[in-house]
Amino acid sequence: MTWTLGYGTNGLGDHPLPQALDLIAETGYGAVALTLGFPHLDPWAEPDELHRVHRRVDALGLTLVIETGTRFLLDPRRKHAPALVDAEADARVAYLRRAVQVAEELGADTVQFFSGVLTPGDDAAAARDRLLHRLGSLVDVADRHGIRLALEPEPGMVVETVADALAIRAALGDPTALGLTVDIGHCLVVESGGVAGALAAAAPALAHVQIDDMPSSHHEHRPFGDGDLDLPAALIALDATGYTGVVSVELPRHSWDAPHLLRHSHDAIARARPSTPTQGAAMTSTTPSPASTAPPGSISRTDPTPPVVAAALAPPTDWLAEAIGVVHQDPRRLGAPFALAARRVGRDALRADHDPGGVVFGTVADAARAALVVAAVPAADTGSARRPDPHTGGVDLVDTLRTLYQQGDTGERRGVLRGLDALTVVDALSPELIALGQELAADALRTNDPSLVAAATGPFAAAHLDQHTWRHAAVKLVFQQVSLDAVAGLADRADAELARMAGDLAAERRAAGRPVPDDLARIAGQQKES
Amino acid sequence: MRILDPHIHMTSRTTDDYEALYAAGVRAVVEPAFWLGQPRTSVGSFVDYFDALIGWERFRAAQFGIRHHATIGLNPKEANDPRCREVLEVIPRYLTKEGVVAVGELGYDAMTPQEDQVFAAQLAMALDADLPALVHTPHRDKLAGTRRTLDVVREAGLTPDRVLVDHLNETTVGLVRDAGAWAGFSIYPDTKMDEVRMVAILREYGLDRMIVNSAADWGRSDPLKTWRTGVTMLEAGFTEDEVDQVLWRNPVEFFGANLILDPVPGFIAGQAPAPAEFAGSSVLRGVRA
Repeated sequence: MTWTLGYGTNGLGDHPLPQALDLIAETGYGAVALTLGFPHLDPWAEPDELHRVHRRVDALGLTLVIETGTRFLLDPRRKHAPALVDAEADARVAYLRRAVQVAEELGADTVQFFSGVLTPGDDAAAARDRLLHRLGSLVDVADRHGIRLALEPEPGMVVETVADALAIRAALGDPTALGLTVDIGHCLVVESGGVAGALAAAAPALAHVQIDDMPSSHHEHRPFGDGDLDLPAALIALDATGYTGVVSVELPRHSWDAPHLLRHSHDAIARARPSTPTQGAAMTSTTPSPASTAPPGSISRTDPTPPVVAAALAPPTDWLAEAIGVVHQDPRRLGAPFALAARRVGRDALRADHDPGGVVFGTVADAARAALVVAAVPAADTGSARRPDPHTGGVDLVDTLRTLYQQGDTGERRGVLRGLDALTVVDALSPELIALGQELAADALRTNDPSLVAAATGPFAAAHLDQHTWRHAAVKLVFQQVSLDAVAGLADRADAELARMAGDLAAERRAAGRPVPDDLARIAGQQKES
Repeated sequence: MRILDPHIHMTSRTTDDYEALYAAGVRAVVEPAFWLGQPRTSVGSFVDYFDALIGWERFRAAQFGIRHHATIGLNPKEANDPRCREVLEVIPRYLTKEGVVAVGELGYDAMTPQEDQVFAAQLAMALDADLPALVHTPHRDKLAGTRRTLDVVREAGLTPDRVLVDHLNETTVGLVRDAGAWAGFSIYPDTKMDEVRMVAILREYGLDRMIVNSAADWGRSDPLKTWRTGVTMLEAGFTEDEVDQVLWRNPVEFFGANLILDPVPGFIAGQAPAPAEFAGSSVLRGVRA
């Protein structure tokens, strides 16, 4: 499961709603963030009209989120007034209650909202108290309707940062029906921990995400490329949270250029999204590039960065940050922190709920070790396609990594393999490192330790293992009862030969009266030509 | 009863033993590096053995719900073989590894000058790596060997609380305790020590700094002797808490922070390895095509 890319209707204010929805769907988005109010949908519209919208959204296969940032619906003279923090806010409360009902009618499960700006001369503590009091009853309403409210921190508002929003949520007892919206552009302006810090802090309560570019100096939504956002890094940070909801592009001041920006935003995110290359040097078969045959909403079906790689590329803290600094200065000092990593950062599974042993999605220690490998490779941290010199500063990186692997225990070996995965994702592998990775993957795939086999089926394997080796790795995982979720690029690389192997194995199991692993069906059904 | 067997050579034991150990309450073991019966002829043979102690054997134990640790060192018998001496150069890099909790087994076999040098060199490594040392006492001339062991440890600069002197008996326990070191007892079916004599020693000397192990290996030995000692203690009137101190808290205190003692994730007691949500494993036979 990964997140679904959407587009906000407030960026299509010059199009009637039906045409806006059509444009969003046909450009390839899988979701829509619909602002309730002028010009697209009157919150108090007749049931018939709500049904029509619901049917259209469903027919287009769009996931729907309701947004409430309508500007002059409640007060024709003051933008966004009245707000939840104001002394008088009956109209706002009524509107938000109605938004919850409309969300239910339209089959949405999330309603975005914000707190409001403090009126000059008003008392901040009193405003916060009013917000809490009103939110308490709104959360109860949302809970009854099975809807999740998503409080969005906004620059200049009473709830301005993720920390502010989390504090409000905590004061209400962390109700499930109250989540957070994080606007990734806002993070550049108001979040001390940047995009990655804000997303990581919000992760447990993340209900909705908006995405846009922005200058770090002030709150101005801009098309991707026109601000200071590092989009690839933002997407890696987002993947690292495990978020599976809607991510909607938020360009409310660019309705005049909507058709162009729909495409431009979609393409910018597709390009920035680290996905598994399928044109590896050593591949014996070629698969059609997914982009050329992209179905609507295709981004929502692209392989996300594996959790262990996303965690490895996330900004480091504490001990790891220090160790990375040391290795960055002098890659020869990689050995000691590499061995100690698990004792310093722990061994918890990154997705303990689905994968208690950390075999499929990796562990905290795997990610830390992968981060140390990345730190040892010059140019890897830029995320650009600059190839590192394998003999930088007199250090032979290939020898260093080979020795780390050969003299390492299983955890360290996983760390080297995951490091190569991370270098694959940021496109910083030299030909020498690719050859080393192939050698080490072959060794790992010979072992009978499932965690090593799983670590050898990530993005590096998807990009650089020959088809025969890759197929055997996938089947070996099935043998070891490890979920094929561990395999990067499974859909891209599965072929008719793998399907035949899976079918034969299933037949053999049935003949012996033994259970057939569920995962065999995932690869037996692939009918691509190899 | 929860048990940490602080000295057991699982490489030589079967998966049946792992299942029996788990059933008896063993949740963690320490496997000291030692000789294999068949003399080694090169350093490469040691490297593969050490790699197995921190690799394959740890994985195999985890399949049965048991946390496996190792101590790394050149044993005194092979310290006398010049072909094996070079292994001293690779030992320091193993001392930083996950799950390596001490330097060992060190000590004396035939009390030769070579054994002296190798013993002292490895005590210095223990000091450098901030690890305790597991020292075995010689089977022949045990009393003199134990005295000399304590002298060498003192000269090396290790504080006595960082040293476990193992394979003790009635004649050597007093010496070790007076020196302030930890006293280890290997409970064997018919040599070294038995559980009844062990309980008598605990009565006489108390429970502090006392460590009980099975030292089970490729010879006649019984991996459940730690558990039998616990049962014999209970029969003799010791409390469950006192048994817990000897069989769990004492070795945990001695080996310290590098032990990994949380339950193996995904392991389900009483189930064969590789329940659906955990890793498969080739310790299984007969269910693999």
